[in-house]
Amino acid sequence: MNDQIRKITNNEWEIPTDFVPGMRVPGRFFLSENLAETLEDGALTQLANVATLPGILRYSLGMPDIHWGYGFPIGGVGAFDAETGVISPGGVGFDINCGVRMITTPLHVSDIPDLRGIIEDLFTAVPTGVGSKSPIRLSQNDLSSMLEDGAKNAVEMGYGMESDIPRCEENGAMAGAQPEHVSKKARQRGIPQCGTLGSGNHFLEIQVTDDIVDEATAKTFGVSEGQICVMIHCGSRGLGHQVCTDHLQILESATKKYGIDLPDRQLACAPLSSPEGEAYFGAMAASANYAWANRQIITHIVRELFVKKFQVDYEEMPLVYDVAHNVAKWEEHEVDGLRQKVCVHRKGATRAFGPGRVELPHEFRACGQPVIIPGSMGTSSYLLAGTQGAMDKTFGSTCHGSGRVKSRSSAKRCQTGEEVVNALLRQGIIVRAPNQAAIAEEAPDVYKSSSEVVQTVHDAGISRIVARMRPLGVIKG
Amino acid sequence: MVFEELEHTADIRMRISAPDLSSLFSESGSALAKILYGAYPLEKPTESFSIEAEGKDLEELIVNFLSELLFLTETEYLVPQKFTLSVGNSVSGTVEGVLFDRKKHSGGTGVKGISYSGLSLTRTKTGFELIIIFDI
Repeated sequence: MNDQIRKITNNEWEIPTDFVPGMRVPGRFFLSENLAETLEDGALTQLANVATLPGILRYSLGMPDIHWGYGFPIGGVGAFDAETGVISPGGVGFDINCGVRMITTPLHVSDIPDLRGIIEDLFTAVPTGVGSKSPIRLSQNDLSSMLEDGAKNAVEMGYGMESDIPRCEENGAMAGAQPEHVSKKARQRGIPQCGTLGSGNHFLEIQVTDDIVDEATAKTFGVSEGQICVMIHCGSRGLGHQVCTDHLQILESATKKYGIDLPDRQLACAPLSSPEGEAYFGAMAASANYAWANRQIITHIVRELFVKKFQVDYEEMPLVYDVAHNVAKWEEHEVDGLRQKVCVHRKGATRAFGPGRVELPHEFRACGQPVIIPGSMGTSSYLLAGTQGAMDKTFGSTCHGSGRVKSRSSAKRCQTGEEVVNALLRQGIIVRAPNQAAIAEEAPDVYKSSSEVVQTVHDAGISRIVARMRPLGVIKG
Repeated sequence: MVFEELEHTADIRMRISAPDLSSLFSESGSALAKILYGAYPLEKPTESFSIEAEGKDLEELIVNFLSELLFLTETEYLVPQKFTLSVGNSVSGTVEGVLFDRKKHSGGTGVKGISYSGLSLTRTKTGFELIIIFDI
């Protein structure tokens, strides 16, 4: 660990305010001793740079899956004062509301004798990878409704159940969406991609819950041992990417206009209360809503297929929860003993609200919200619960995944896609992708161990482990 | 080889060299296409689109040009085969290609955006060199 970094507890570290010039608050990050060697200098500098942004409150925060990103590090969290703070696309990312959701089924492993068959069917039914096209014909008006109403709009179109809506963070639709700030180009990219999985680290996975750590909470979440679940990881597709690209350009100029001194161009930002900041927020919220609708539509395709293949009822496949990984949101938090409205940026981090928060559906208010942490391809995923510790330490945030440690180019040098697929098959995991070459870049060993990352957030008290899910079949975009 | 992949943990970082700006922009376009579609066969183009971009400096110009190309590939399902570009204070020209075919063009991965992170476009003894990160 870098000499300037101060150890606070076994899993918590502090970056002092003299680490880079202009830091307004210290940096704090969560990392176990085992993960300490995975910390890149670039990520550390990025975490410190975030602390220079106007209006940042308490700390620039890093989760244990921290790695080098764009502007903010991946795994970065920053909360900003409503009056003096800024909003930055670098704190959200290109893939606005990239997120993950999980549905349960009444099935068990023995109910799926032909796993390869269902994986092939899902691969055919859910448009996957570069160049894939939406199964839906959206009009411009349809898209506008989707940008306003998110998952609710998808349910109204017949993609899902009413009961899915409260099981999405923000009820699947962020307030403050302003479709008028979503450019024509972003709309053109969004219309043909709605209901598509995308590529890269996005996936659709059939899993089995193989370890229940907290029985009572698992029961509240509707999860039991040996149950087949489906996890969906994707975001706002080209629409969100274009919104980020468009508004970065506007905010580059705004940074100069408002005289904000930045250590890094990637942190381009504008005051939350400025027209430029408000326009980005409105477009970002609209993109987040599109992403919720996108995951909702994919969920529907999966459920329909399961109904057909396994004769289960549609209603027997409830949504456990849907969480956003890349987003900036208005939330109420206690800062120095006072409750105030702040804008929390989560860039590769998950909201982990603890017990008592009114934002949660009634059934989760006693135990904290479900937090879904996808593993890398071939490794286990985890279901956690939000805690008061997260409210106290991290503005109600925790990790989002396992975090890369190996570059894509070195991953490709180490093994071919075919070798990765065969190695996973030997463990009983079926992988399906449009092309095997791209799989090498997402091999399990290019990521930090998901169990180590999850154990760290559990030990640090910023969420707690409820259950573990083992992958059976994966569709990679 | 005029473009090579450099180390980067999360994204794709490339070094691209060319004797002049027009070929640097064309090579960058080809690099983006290779990330999106893998090593695909070169064919006789069937589609042609005009492409234009502006920027306050060369770095902004290349980012805007590649963002525009990314937009074209996604909305027109275009797999680029040939660039004819004129680069000065702005860039304009045509990109020719074929329509996306899953059998031939599935070897790559989606690009979310063109990053200013670690971006440099410099003049060298033999022409120009670009170092750029594609956010994937």
